Amino acid sequence: MSNEIVMPKLSDTMEEGKILRWLKHPGDAVHHGDALAEVETDKADMVMESFDDGVLAEIRLKEGETAKVGAVIAILRPAGAGAEASAANGGAEAKPAEVVAEPADEPEEATAIPSSGPRLAPIRPAAARKRRGAEADGENRPPRSAPRVVARVADRDEEPAAPAKGAIAGKVEAPPPEFHPALSAVRSAGPTAIPAPPARDLTIATPVSDVPATSGEAGKLRASPLARRAAEEAGIDIAHIRGSGPDGRITKRDVDNFIREQQLFKFRRLIAPREGMPGTREELSKMRKTIAHRMAQSKREIPHFYVTVEVDMEEAVKLKSSLEATELFEEDITYNDIIVKATALALSRYTRMNASYENDGIVIYPNINIGMAVAVEDGLIVPVIHECEHLTLPEIARAAHRLVNKAAHGGFTSEDLSGATFTISNMGMLNVEHFAAVIVPPQAGILAISAIKDRPVARNGQLAIGKTMMMTVACDHRIIDGVVGARFLNEVKRFLENPASLLV
Amino acid sequence: MANSRYDLVVIGSGPGGYVAAIRASQLKMRVAVIERDLPGGVCLNWGCIPSKALLNSAETMEAIRGAGAEHGIATGEITFDFKRVIARSRAAADKLSKGVRFLLRKNKIDYFEANASIAGPNTVALAPVAGKPAPPAEALAAERILLAAGSGERLLPGMTIGDGVMTSREALVHDRLPASIAIIGAGAIGAEFGYFYQAFGAKVAIIELEQQMLPGFDAEIAEELRRNFVKRGVNVMLGHGYKSLARDGAGWKVALEAGGKAAAVEAEAVLVAVGRGPLSRELGLDRAGIEADRAGYLKIDDSFRTTCPSIYAIGDVARPPLLAHKASAEGVAAVEIMAGVREPGFDLMNIPGCIYCEPEVACVGLSEAQARERGIEVKVGKFPFRANGKAVAVNQTEGFVKLVASKQYSEVLGCQIIGHHATDLISEIVLGRTLETTTLELGRSVHPHPTLSESIMEAALAAEGEAINF
Repeated sequence: MSNEIVMPKLSDTMEEGKILRWLKHPGDAVHHGDALAEVETDKADMVMESFDDGVLAEIRLKEGETAKVGAVIAILRPAGAGAEASAANGGAEAKPAEVVAEPADEPEEATAIPSSGPRLAPIRPAAARKRRGAEADGENRPPRSAPRVVARVADRDEEPAAPAKGAIAGKVEAPPPEFHPALSAVRSAGPTAIPAPPARDLTIATPVSDVPATSGEAGKLRASPLARRAAEEAGIDIAHIRGSGPDGRITKRDVDNFIREQQLFKFRRLIAPREGMPGTREELSKMRKTIAHRMAQSKREIPHFYVTVEVDMEEAVKLKSSLEATELFEEDITYNDIIVKATALALSRYTRMNASYENDGIVIYPNINIGMAVAVEDGLIVPVIHECEHLTLPEIARAAHRLVNKAAHGGFTSEDLSGATFTISNMGMLNVEHFAAVIVPPQAGILAISAIKDRPVARNGQLAIGKTMMMTVACDHRIIDGVVGARFLNEVKRFLENPASLLV
Repeated sequence: MANSRYDLVVIGSGPGGYVAAIRASQLKMRVAVIERDLPGGVCLNWGCIPSKALLNSAETMEAIRGAGAEHGIATGEITFDFKRVIARSRAAADKLSKGVRFLLRKNKIDYFEANASIAGPNTVALAPVAGKPAPPAEALAAERILLAAGSGERLLPGMTIGDGVMTSREALVHDRLPASIAIIGAGAIGAEFGYFYQAFGAKVAIIELEQQMLPGFDAEIAEELRRNFVKRGVNVMLGHGYKSLARDGAGWKVALEAGGKAAAVEAEAVLVAVGRGPLSRELGLDRAGIEADRAGYLKIDDSFRTTCPSIYAIGDVARPPLLAHKASAEGVAAVEIMAGVREPGFDLMNIPGCIYCEPEVACVGLSEAQARERGIEVKVGKFPFRANGKAVAVNQTEGFVKLVASKQYSEVLGCQIIGHHATDLISEIVLGRTLETTTLELGRSVHPHPTLSESIMEAALAAEGEAINF
């Protein structure tokens, strides 16, 4: 009897996955928890673990190939009824709870299981997860051939195990779905168009250690409890971290260094964007592919029109510097925060800008969730500030800074990246005169912010030098006509030019 | 011999030097050790080992004295031969010193009894030790030199040793019990000798400039120790600065000052226990361009390299804390770094500090105050031994375990223990810290019952507000 291993659903938006590398090869013995393969998903590269013991009989999906979630990618043959297998199994049969339903094929079922928080690591069914702590070492050492420590963030879930349903012995189970609905009322708010960046970058994930792990025995993950805890709090999948301790054990310092490295890397990236070699062809990353599809879909389906205004930012500049001088708020207020606040106020008055076109209807969102396009290595992410209509300026600043921090530390939850009802693309720091942005479907508009510059302005009939900023809104003509777009934009302008109103 | 070059010449055979030499030999280096005194250095001969033997005699004395009241075991009149007490401690030291000599031989390490000094970056000069045969060579050529010269007792200005004025070194062989003794300094050495002399019936005054015993230790621990000493009848004089020392009949008068007021202590003997300092000045540092700081500690980098690239330094001569186990660990680290089997760097934050009086004191990592000074938010778990079954059963209920963890990750930042066998208990925390344990693992590790070690588990739980037995 053989068991099929299927492409697991490793994130809520995952539809297909690409095998980056098989970590086990036909004929290899596989134990429960062994890393089988590295899988590229739309959000990140992840390691797929086995939930059974056996021998890898056949690989159906080659490295570099892509398959839909649920497709059979390999065959696992149960190890001969030998004592060795059951011993290594630690009596797994006695714990039926470790085998869960197969949500990959039953997405509706999946969404019914609540998620307690970010689950960066895929892999384990909740039932198999154990409480963090003394017995938390369900992690398994990577096989001899694994180039990096395979781990998962220490579990924080302490909820009772999900009930076992339709257990299919021998099948690789998908993890419990990571369903982070956008605000429940916002049914039609689609997932963020542009997904999270791959959490792992090949330049970072260098081989762990030359020291081979002891002969394939299923050992414990080599990471200190403190390192696990720190990685968990920073929202980092510890599998991405290179261990410097004995035999590649991951220590707290490795986690700290990883975070620092990531920040450094990000910085380097911003000042020196990676360019392709002339005369070569590059396969799109998952992220680029998603951007390509979504943006093309946007331009194909959404009739864009654009409205531009020049905003006198004199008062906003003053407001910002006086807030800085008085240290009234704990958080520094940025121009971006001021713009988000002004936009939120304008959106609350022009609700059709906070809407989406659906099957010959217009759905107005109950909340104002503003996404901010942020550049990352070869792509974009759009972290979201939720319910801006309820937030004061310092609260928006706090939320924005939290997201910026997460961008630096890689700790986004899927909620952070989904549910946007309107997007702002700010290229102010890039010294841009003027630009227009592409709407993120299914939203109704996107606001493009250019740099604040010294420009000649007319004040009381006199020519003066003022600080102004160009601002362009792209609108979905199916929902909005020019007048609404123009009024909305002028409303944003009015708030920005009278920024005291933003403090109320 | 002059032609042959050693891979490593180690100056000093204390716990730093001899351990480093053995490790180097294991790593296939050709090694020589030079010692001017006895194999094993201060630790084995004039420090840790003989003093622990004396403290063991003191504990035995206390146990017998308490036998009647505590256990109903009748004893006759208790007498003792102080000479035998001292002699036993010497025997322990001699035995271990011979053991070191044996280990060096076993590891094929050449041993020279000589005064060593640096003659150049790759040369160590040997001079005869007074009263000993001249060394077989005048100099040794060395690929690398490891300075493990250790430390010496510090004195106060205007003090000379002799005639009842002692440092720990003299006290260890002083085989006549003084009727009274003034101990200057309430650090580890002062506390241990204070306990020792008190146990044998001497009148003990401990003088300390700082406002607590064991300066630098957790204040709560220090206060617990002070109360304990006072209960035993020791005169603990905190905040008293030493002014001068004068002969006073058959004994000594120690003039002191406290808060601007003069004070004095009279005693038959005086023990100066004001710390130790590095023995770096006679090493000929300038002949290899080796720099030292103002206190005399040698400047070393992450690889234990001095400012001369072929010369390394470890242990007391390199930097505080002046502890035997730190020196040994540094010795191993230095040699392994030389051999390229270990990354540079050494964690000084995980060195336990121990005091072997009764109750014992042991600590590692950050104290609560130190953690707060560093801006770390902490949670503290305390567990008193009086709530520990074993401690009650063996009637050793004094003291407590104090565990300091970070609020953020529950990281075990440090632990301070005062109580019976504290110095043995602390190792669990050292291991835990090496493995970067959090309070969760400590609290969930099953500790045998009944043992004192359960108090560590309970303190870890207490840090999380989950102690069971208190």
